[in-house]
Amino acid sequence: MKFLKSCPVILLAVLGLLLPGAVSSALAAEKTVVIGFTASRTGKLNVEGMRQINGLNLWVEQVNKAGGVKLPDGTQVKFVAKDYDDESKKERVQELYTKLISTDKADFLISPYSSGLADAAAVIAQQYNKIMITTGAASDSTYKKGYTLVYQAYTPASRYLTGALDLLGKLDPSAKKMAIVHEKDKFSTDVVNALKAYGETKGYQIALFEGYDSGTTDFAPFINKIPPGVDAIMGGGHFADTTTFAKQLYEKKVKTKMIALLVAPPEPKFAELGEACISVIGSSQWEPLAKYSPETAKAANLEYFGPTVADFVSSYKGKFNEDPSYHSAGGYVAGLILQKAILKSGSTDTAKVKAAMDAMDLMTFYGRIKFAADPKNHGLQVGHEMVYIQWFKDKQGKPKKEVVWPETGKTASAFVCPVR
Amino acid sequence: MKFWRQTGFWLPLVLVFLWGGAVLVLRQDTIRETAFTVLMFMALASSLNILLGYTGYVSFGHIVFFGLGGYTGFYLLSEQGWPLYLAAVGGGALSGLIALLVGLAVLRLRGAYFALATIGINEAARAFVSNFGPFGGATGMFVNFSAYEKYGGAGQALWTTFTFLWITTLVVLVVSYLVKHSRFGLGLQAIREDEDAAMVMGVHAPRAKTITYVISAFFPGIIGTLYFFKNGNVEPGDAFQLHMSIEMLVMVMLGGMGTVLGPMVGATAYQGLRGYLLTSPIFKDLHLAVAGLILLLIILFVPAGAVGWVRGRIPALRKVLE
Repeated sequence: MKFLKSCPVILLAVLGLLLPGAVSSALAAEKTVVIGFTASRTGKLNVEGMRQINGLNLWVEQVNKAGGVKLPDGTQVKFVAKDYDDESKKERVQELYTKLISTDKADFLISPYSSGLADAAAVIAQQYNKIMITTGAASDSTYKKGYTLVYQAYTPASRYLTGALDLLGKLDPSAKKMAIVHEKDKFSTDVVNALKAYGETKGYQIALFEGYDSGTTDFAPFINKIPPGVDAIMGGGHFADTTTFAKQLYEKKVKTKMIALLVAPPEPKFAELGEACISVIGSSQWEPLAKYSPETAKAANLEYFGPTVADFVSSYKGKFNEDPSYHSAGGYVAGLILQKAILKSGSTDTAKVKAAMDAMDLMTFYGRIKFAADPKNHGLQVGHEMVYIQWFKDKQGKPKKEVVWPETGKTASAFVCPVR
Repeated sequence: MKFWRQTGFWLPLVLVFLWGGAVLVLRQDTIRETAFTVLMFMALASSLNILLGYTGYVSFGHIVFFGLGGYTGFYLLSEQGWPLYLAAVGGGALSGLIALLVGLAVLRLRGAYFALATIGINEAARAFVSNFGPFGGATGMFVNFSAYEKYGGAGQALWTTFTFLWITTLVVLVVSYLVKHSRFGLGLQAIREDEDAAMVMGVHAPRAKTITYVISAFFPGIIGTLYFFKNGNVEPGDAFQLHMSIEMLVMVMLGGMGTVLGPMVGATAYQGLRGYLLTSPIFKDLHLAVAGLILLLIILFVPAGAVGWVRGRIPALRKVLE
């Protein structure tokens, strides 16, 4: 009887010994990782910047909803995003990244939108030993500065238009003469310099290589300089100038086999050009039409990770009530890359995650992800390919875009620019 | 009376000295970054004030000297291997030289014509640099991360840059005070009030204005070099931003043009306010609207700027608040 009376006491004592361990292991089982970044919520880059944030926030929401990332020791890693507005200006980027790291205790960083701002942030990331995934920052030069913790999600600027040249070779093997007319800014100049070098190695004659100032609205002097008989006209810059350039090429009835331009053609608004947009080719980091799937990954002997293209598009549309752009996809995939690296390394430690990033080679809804690991180009994106779209006419005669390159992801075959 | 016996001479210097010194002692990176932004604009606004405040010439394109000097200094340190200190001084010297050449021509213009010409100079400089091969053309220049090793690593390099900026700001304030209280400065103020009358009274206006233009261009060149070195790259879009010129003007007006303390107060208030609003959980999405409203109210109701207002209300403080 005496034993029975003391039973509850013994039970409580046993529970008392076990519970703290159970509670502490339950507490240790969850860890919150802070992802810090500045975003162009205001200023000239706010449209692209906001879409990038939307993409990243969608990833945070989805990964946390799915329980986060489970580490081998049972820790469940959840994510929280912390951001400040950089006003699309470089002035405060370093100050804000320092604050994110020192005050907000960010564990990992995502870059601001645009190469210039990302460059400023990269110095701080490297200095504080933080991994930073750049998205919306295509310039190659960032990855030639000796950083070891900066990784690029976008296809670099040097490969923005080179695929169009490969497509031209396929479309018309006799094509040998091209004209390049481009905006004189950092991004466009980086793109066309690489395009020119690539064209020359392929045996193309660069019949015209001309730059125009940002904000140019009259392209007649440049169009008049295009020699007759060029097989391709390539270049452009940003949305407004490229759209005007495409329109004036149409109005001047320039004869060529291919027109491939930067930035503007993938935008749905480009269709407002009507007839002038038909046959124009544009390069895009990602398109909802792109056919990246577990099957294409298997064919390429790669692992597939993350949602399918259709799942990403539908969840993005459901949350933000708009079609995702490549900026949105770029924001999402930056988080996805980090998720995979943490999963693979089984840790949130910078050195271990870095090792996983260096070894990463996988397929996602956004395309292939692989980083250069050599010291000269460390972090440069070498796996991802641009997607090339071309404007077609649908059955009603309205403009409709299709993916025409690369071969593995195309939804239609490219066609030669018709006589205008 | 000797200038070093004046409270008005020491007040801004002591404030900036103590503040910068405290940042160096506290050694907190976040505080350093905030202080760097404020000090940079304080020095830029004070440089502009030497021209705007003392001669009354409104330069909308003063940022051109920040850009050209910054480019030159960056080129000297990244391509020619100059140490940061020398490269920054080289950037400042080039800015001064450009100001001398440009000033000889544009300072013959007055009022709105001069203001418009300065915008044109900024745009011309941007176009020139975008096509100038040694400066990297449209893609600009960058330094390898290993370049910071010379200064003890990136972390130490940021502290060194801050220290150099702090010293530069102190020098700008000393120069601003000395110009204001010199015979030369009195000539400038006479030009500000009535240029023709000043010339009749014996002030050699073209020479005085050109010298002032050179002085006010020298410091932005140094600051530009420090800023771009800290960022690790320089490109035309960042170097010649007209909005920074406008902000410099706003800071001078906010604090009080023609005073030594005014641009310092204006820069601290403007940048402090912007920094707070940007990171405030309540205002971070409305910061531009709130900042705009506050500026509008200040300019409407305190047109002489903060220091000018206090000097007007409390005459006893005129000797202290220079």
